[in-house]
Amino acid sequence: MNLEVMPMETWISMIFGMIAMACLVVSLVFLRFWRLSGDRFFALFAGSFALLAVVRLGLGVVPVDTEGRTLLYWVRLLAYLMILAAILDKNRPKPERHPAP
Amino acid sequence: MAAELVYVFAFLVAVACGYLLFRGYQRSERRLLLWSSICFFFLSLENLLLFVDLVIIPDVDLRLVRGLITLVGMSFLVYGLVWERE
Repeated sequence: MNLEVMPMETWISMIFGMIAMACLVVSLVFLRFWRLSGDRFFALFAGSFALLAVVRLGLGVVPVDTEGRTLLYWVRLLAYLMILAAILDKNRPKPERHPAP
Repeated sequence: MAAELVYVFAFLVAVACGYLLFRGYQRSERRLLLWSSICFFFLSLENLLLFVDLVIIPDVDLRLVRGLITLVGMSFLVYGLVWERE
């Protein structure tokens, strides 16, 4: 595959930008789901993907082999943990509600 | 050391998310959960490659490959959100 149409760094920046945009779109869609349903599962997903978009933008800007990049990866881990928390919260057994006598 | 840990943790958490989402799909047959789980399996692969890229073979630049894998994974989720009724 001939990638010499653009320098490698340009390809990488373009792909990272596409990923950031995809994360932002996903976040907005989940935000809409949360507004319609009030379900915090969607709010957590929306927040997580918004964080992932910010991380992806940061990875495109912060120089390689710096502390800043490691911090960004910790933020990405936090975003994944938010999603895991949302899934576990959703699958939690709900307490039975007894109707009033 | 902290950097290596975050790559490993991110891989494990992404795999867990993908697995739980797939299990949710099996129970409910909501296709959005299927697309989400596929996305997270691609993200977990990307995190695994991140560890390989930065720790095991730091002389080889896998950013393009990792970026493409992430892009494919996100595409599945975007497709699911756009086309599936939820």
